[in-house]
Amino acid sequence: MTDELLRSPLHDRHLALGAKFAPFGGWEMPLEYAGGGVLKEHAAVRESVGVFDVSHLGKATVTGPGAADFINRCLTNDLGRIAPGKAQYTLCCDETGGVVDDLIAYLHGPEHVFLIPNAANTTEVVRRLQAAAPEGVTIVNEHADYAVLAVQGPRSAELLAKLGLPTDHDYMSFEVAKLGSAELTVCRTGYTGEHGYELVVPSAQAGEVWDALFGTDIEVRAAGLAARDTLRTEMGYPLHGQDLSMEISPVQARAGWAVGWKKPEFWGREALVAEKAAPQRTLWGLLATDRGIPRAHMTVLRPGTDEAIGEVTSGTFSPTKKIGIALALISTASGLTEGDEVELDVRGRRSVAKIVKPPFVNPSVR
Amino acid sequence: MSSAIPEELRYTAEHEWVRVAEGGALRVGITQFAQDALGDIVYVDLPEAGSAVEAGASAGEVESTKSVSEIYAPVSGTVTARNEALAESPDLINSDPYGDGWLVEIEPADPAAYGELLDAAAYQKLIEQS
Repeated sequence: MTDELLRSPLHDRHLALGAKFAPFGGWEMPLEYAGGGVLKEHAAVRESVGVFDVSHLGKATVTGPGAADFINRCLTNDLGRIAPGKAQYTLCCDETGGVVDDLIAYLHGPEHVFLIPNAANTTEVVRRLQAAAPEGVTIVNEHADYAVLAVQGPRSAELLAKLGLPTDHDYMSFEVAKLGSAELTVCRTGYTGEHGYELVVPSAQAGEVWDALFGTDIEVRAAGLAARDTLRTEMGYPLHGQDLSMEISPVQARAGWAVGWKKPEFWGREALVAEKAAPQRTLWGLLATDRGIPRAHMTVLRPGTDEAIGEVTSGTFSPTKKIGIALALISTASGLTEGDEVELDVRGRRSVAKIVKPPFVNPSVR
Repeated sequence: MSSAIPEELRYTAEHEWVRVAEGGALRVGITQFAQDALGDIVYVDLPEAGSAVEAGASAGEVESTKSVSEIYAPVSGTVTARNEALAESPDLINSDPYGDGWLVEIEPADPAAYGELLDAAAYQKLIEQS
């Protein structure tokens, strides 16, 4: 399996930077860099600017007459709410309301939508769309055709401006631009909670764009997937496969804001509408009150008892708050809610955490 | 990054180092190889002085942002000291694993146990194979 991992077009640059690699969604991607480490890389994004290679993310183009209408009949969010030039967070559910994937849809126009699914789910999302597509609508999996560079942090706009790239467009919108020989899409999106951009670059020009980002007088830190995970957890952003999955619906994961409830049709609509009335469990944040660090799959207990009332879906040490934080599914029947305390079984010891509503750190995406 | 393995120390297959401290107790830490594999360490849980530990059994844990790793006692005995500086600065393990990043000191039940640990050459061989 290991020898079949795919590699980013920037792999050699990561090697040169002394990256430590990890398999992620079938790709071998940088986890952290020599001279950096998750804490320094996390801090760079919160305080200055960091660049992530997230080329493992999927890419797929949907074109043809009625392409946008077709996507709107499949995915949960309402594409009718946004204009061309805007992007939208949306979900691909199955008929039971389980989440096949969460993705970003870039609306170029009524006949052209660009999708960024998760690495591990791209093939399945494309397969489902292709199977449902009407005559004339084409879905092309372009996974390896583009690199994606996430430029995130308070100095991200200053950095891109130095390269002559557009920076003033609104959050969740995109513009097409040129940098050297590369034609790229500059999206005001990200997964860190900071002001930032995601650059979608043809793979052949990825190195040129990477080098340009590191070639200004602004000190830029390369950041890996380890920092990406701590940054997103501080924001309470779900990770598919942990906080959202075929077993964890958007209703449970509090992602109902990404569902166009008024739409007459989308995959999983019937099941999700039914579940919305009375969800069995809900995703909350947990903030540790002691030194314990919550980890995925730890059991959440009613204080002072052995009664299991939930499960941690993502947990880490928050580099910003210097304490353990988690996302956890808590059963509705427990009656426990925001402000209540719960206990975690941390390898046989009890750790006390408080139920909170994420984010754990104030976002500054706009 | 330097991967030099100090000649004067003894080692375990679980990537701990051991040195004879003043008074005959054994000072224990984790190796450069281990700290590099773990990444930034953010929390350390160590047994208090007076705790009994058993060779090969858990004697605390170190946590990075992503994962937790157990520390295994290299020898059986009694904990005589733990590095209290790590409570505030667990990053000392990353920055100085063989020095200020030490973990605990153990009074061995059997003074001969130290001599049975891996020497630097044997440990070097072990990490080359891993």
